[in-house]
Amino acid sequence: MSNHRIPDAPGQLINRDVPLTFTWNGRRLRGYEGDTIVSALLANGITITGRSMKYHRPRGPLTADYWDPNTTVQVGDEPNVRASHRLLRDGMNVSAQNVWPSLRFDLKSANRLVGRFLTAGFYYKTFMKPAALWPLYARVLGTFAPGGVVDLDAPPPRNDKRYAHPDVVVAGGGPAGMAAALAAAQAGASVMLVEHEHQLGGHLCWGDDTDRAEAARLAHAVRAAGVEVLTDATVTGRYEDNWLAISQRGLPGIDERLIKARAGVLIVAAGTIERPYVFAGNDLPGVMTSGAVRRLITMYGVKPGNRAVVFTANPSGDAAVVALEAAGVTIAAVVDGRLGGNVVAAHGRNRVRRVTLADGRRIDSDLLITAVGWTTPTSLLNMSGDRPVYDPEAARFFPWCPPDNVLATGGLAGDGTTEQLVAHGEATGLLAAARAGVVRHRLQHLTRRAEPVTTPEPAWPADERPPLPHGSHPALFRSTTHGIVDYSEDVSSKDLVQAADEGFDSVELVKRFTTTTMGPSQGKLETVNTVAVLAEARGETIEQVGTTVWRPPYAPISLGALAGRIHEPVRMSSIQPWHEAHGAQPILAGQWIRPNHYGDPESEVRNTRNRVGIIDITPLGKLDLQGPDVPKLLNLLYTNSWNALPQGAVRYGLMCAEDGVVLDDGVTGRLGPEHYLMTTTSSGAATVWNWAENWLQTEHPDWQVHITPVTTGLTSINVAGPDSRQLLERLTNDIDLGPDAFQYMQVRTGTVAGVANCIVWRIGFTGELSYEVHVPSGFGLFVWEQLLVHGQDLGVAPFGLEAQRIMRLEKGHFIVGQDTDGLSKAPVTGLETLLKVEKDDWVGKPEVVWALSRGDGPRIVAVQPTDPTVVPEEAAQIVAAGTNQILGRITSSRFSPTLNRSVCLAQVHPDVATPGTTLTIVLANGTRTTAQVMEHHAHFDPEGSRLRG
Amino acid sequence: MADPVFRSSVTSAETTSAESTSAAAVTISDVSDWSKCSVKAGEGTETAKGFAVALGTAAQRNGVLVVHHRQHEWLLLGSAAQVDETIHNLDRDGFVSTVDLTHGRMMLRVSGPRSADVLAKVCSSNFDDAFTPNRAAWGATVARVTCDLVRDDQVGVRSYLLLCDRSYGDYFFQSLLDAADEFAD
Amino acid sequence: MLLVPCPVCGPKNAAELTYRGETHSRPDPNQATPEEWRSYLYLRDNPAGWLREGWFCSSGCRTFFTLERNTTTGELREPLLPGNKVAGRPISDGTEP
Repeated sequence: MSNHRIPDAPGQLINRDVPLTFTWNGRRLRGYEGDTIVSALLANGITITGRSMKYHRPRGPLTADYWDPNTTVQVGDEPNVRASHRLLRDGMNVSAQNVWPSLRFDLKSANRLVGRFLTAGFYYKTFMKPAALWPLYARVLGTFAPGGVVDLDAPPPRNDKRYAHPDVVVAGGGPAGMAAALAAAQAGASVMLVEHEHQLGGHLCWGDDTDRAEAARLAHAVRAAGVEVLTDATVTGRYEDNWLAISQRGLPGIDERLIKARAGVLIVAAGTIERPYVFAGNDLPGVMTSGAVRRLITMYGVKPGNRAVVFTANPSGDAAVVALEAAGVTIAAVVDGRLGGNVVAAHGRNRVRRVTLADGRRIDSDLLITAVGWTTPTSLLNMSGDRPVYDPEAARFFPWCPPDNVLATGGLAGDGTTEQLVAHGEATGLLAAARAGVVRHRLQHLTRRAEPVTTPEPAWPADERPPLPHGSHPALFRSTTHGIVDYSEDVSSKDLVQAADEGFDSVELVKRFTTTTMGPSQGKLETVNTVAVLAEARGETIEQVGTTVWRPPYAPISLGALAGRIHEPVRMSSIQPWHEAHGAQPILAGQWIRPNHYGDPESEVRNTRNRVGIIDITPLGKLDLQGPDVPKLLNLLYTNSWNALPQGAVRYGLMCAEDGVVLDDGVTGRLGPEHYLMTTTSSGAATVWNWAENWLQTEHPDWQVHITPVTTGLTSINVAGPDSRQLLERLTNDIDLGPDAFQYMQVRTGTVAGVANCIVWRIGFTGELSYEVHVPSGFGLFVWEQLLVHGQDLGVAPFGLEAQRIMRLEKGHFIVGQDTDGLSKAPVTGLETLLKVEKDDWVGKPEVVWALSRGDGPRIVAVQPTDPTVVPEEAAQIVAAGTNQILGRITSSRFSPTLNRSVCLAQVHPDVATPGTTLTIVLANGTRTTAQVMEHHAHFDPEGSRLRG
Repeated sequence: MADPVFRSSVTSAETTSAESTSAAAVTISDVSDWSKCSVKAGEGTETAKGFAVALGTAAQRNGVLVVHHRQHEWLLLGSAAQVDETIHNLDRDGFVSTVDLTHGRMMLRVSGPRSADVLAKVCSSNFDDAFTPNRAAWGATVARVTCDLVRDDQVGVRSYLLLCDRSYGDYFFQSLLDAADEFAD
Repeated sequence: MLLVPCPVCGPKNAAELTYRGETHSRPDPNQATPEEWRSYLYLRDNPAGWLREGWFCSSGCRTFFTLERNTTTGELREPLLPGNKVAGRPISDGTEP
């Protein structure tokens, strides 16, 4: 046992039966199970744990708890670990951050020498000119930026998420928090107690025997009462209606879990955080708070030094004196701040060697302990809308007026003996349970599916808790010298005074100019000192200066935890297993995985145009429409007329949004007297469903129409090609496929491959004779397989999306969203006959009417490059010859295996839309080429004879 | 011609309609082959009264689970024969329509003492008995998929039916298995 | 996260619904001048105070309703049915049940 450990004593958390080994900057060291990394380092006599951000000053533990700004280290491949909180594990490799080449001999500490030039706001004043040197500045500054090393090959973290609905959440597991959780649970509430340390107890853990016994009693009672206890967990944010973000660490197999909880009542029992003192040399290793040494001695059996000066202004400082003595540390001097004593400076190079007191005495020591007061961590209250108020007598902030579903208790709310804190906590727990009961009653009453409430809503319980007293405390923020205020950002009190001198008159401006409170500490240790120094510099009071805004997260949370388990929905058709087994090259279309091709899209085109091909188009949107008023809905949503569609007939429809822009298109067929089936684009399926329901509910609730999406209930297979009729005839007995019996743009229902209730459309996106077969999806794959089996001799083969795109482009069929965009009003399509301006009211009508009369909108045209081997890139710009004036762009472009040349669709200015016009296209490589505007959109079979056969 | 083969969209599980009374903390089974039919009608009609199922709840009617999860809509779940019979005997008062959803929806059953804890990993609904008692029916997002849920306890064992668009098949099933991992024995 | 009071389901997390934006009554498309129509399409009052906004219970009962919300205090009033028309593009949240 090194001489930095003290003998075993009650209250210690370390287990001396389980020794652990670890490395620190490559050096092998020993510790015990239960040690934090910092307690183990100090036990080995390591006093320097890092270097400060800007000036690279040597730093050691200051508070030795979660908020310690000086003990951020790299553990293995994990950067930015809070070593005063992280428990030691066997085999850990720990190293200091932000040092080069080593911690002891850090060349970057050269910054100390130029400290004069690195004053506040230097970021805004230096490294500006010459601009040409910015890349160099960036590289140099990059090596000086604080933070650990990210290993890009490290395995991804395991993060998790869950939801919870506790009646009461208690943030803070000290005596008041535990008492509150216990009382609430005993009153029948479901309670979650969240504590950021590894054990419950709060400040009782480093108190005397009575304190620790009380902590154990309460911790045991809390668990026995069924409270859900989360340790190494923090309530990091409070949002509207008590929506809470709780980060939980230390779970087996999980790096971090995010709990999203909707709490009835939130109890904030976060205690107090000890404030450092501002004076010259206050960031030397060996300067610590009273809580730090009490924790190190009591919980970890560590003797933090040999000879101490203690500057105390409260009972915690007094208790530190007792603890240090018991640990064998010589007390060189006790300076009492309540009696006017003060410390002025700490001296030393890499650690404290000597302390200068206000009375002039110089004392040799290696420890300077300060106990100058407390900061109230009111963040969660601020996030709830409270504006805490400063009490000069007590020298700290207190809660003022949180909303009535947020209650404060414990040291956060006032002072008192342990009994008083526990009593206040108990009263708070009872109040919380009662109020949560009312919240629950209200919610239950309003929730349709819930168990009906049998009693009237109880009255909202008034807050009749006797308040905790505010004790007196001297206002000790800064000594007569200047020192570090923000340890994380290396901001000194001198910087703050300078900022005030430069005219930064608001605390929010000073914060941003100096970066104080903006580092990893996020104000926990420095906000109040900042405000106090600023107040002094401006001749104002702390109340007048005010504080900056507290925002979530209260404690750091990893991005991985915010992401949680990655849920990326993936959709597949019933035929997908076949596609995968047969070498389909997948493409992601929205959430769908679809087959792009099976190896050779051009041969798929040829096979379909010459024989027969089948394609899986299941994502095609399909809406089942029933009711006497369906034609009214169709007339409203489509631009054309739907009054007299015969049963068994199919019509194409174009849909616009209210600004006249093309929204969607598709065919709709009439299956029965009051039964229609509407198809939409694949990407528009859900959109159009919501669109239609929106119109029905908000503008025409009197129309009798029922809409049900059947997009995936029907697996859709397009059977296309000259032999498609022959193939389909082999699979159906009850549908007459004769060319006159079943004409182009008609729909039939019947049995296909023995599967009943199939719907067959005769339409043709590809331009070939084709039938769209819609099969109840449980049988989708079966029918696909039957088509392939029964069409073998016909040369049937599957084709994918790429082949389909080529064929539809050969036929000049535009695709909404590809050949039209977010600004394309309906006239762009050239389908003037479909824009029925004489219809009463259809969506988009006003803007379309005005666009038609202006006639100046772009037009979709078919375009063929002069050189048939040139395939312009999609989105290639079309310009006026010899200029850079943009006249349009290529929207679709492919090489056509059918025509053995390139074919395109484009959007162009109406002046160049006339057939025969020569266009100039700017290719991606910067060269220009020409193309002709064609007479029809279809490059191939413009009469459509293949379709209508 | 071969007989038509029905396949669920969950390819990675054994399709089963048998209710298991396993003692495991949670079991997840694919029951997509149940017949499912949507009936739409006005709330005050004889059709609605014929079902006599309160909005937000489900009830057994002649061997069919009638789920009234949304206004003006009832979802009938059961065997093909029983659902067909219910549709056949439907009191069509006024404007009533039906659409078969057997193929359009997948359905999973999540059962066991920890079934609510599994769902709480992937769904923000409140699974307390007071808020979702047995036979409660509601819609919510589960693993980022819009679902209809029904609490349908089996022989006193907590159990939920989850229905969503069939195309999420394996993704949805795997998401729930993943969430249940923590509670596996 | 806001608890939005769906008039049919009851209070739900805002993430379970789709926000539609400020509502304005739809002018008669056959009578409106271009100015009136475009005001309906694009202009919003954006008040500091009570606002009427459209919500859609997309993962639950699929009801479109209107909510009055105070943009400065966060208070909500009872939801209104039927919902009012919100001008503009349809919701493309890409989900079907």
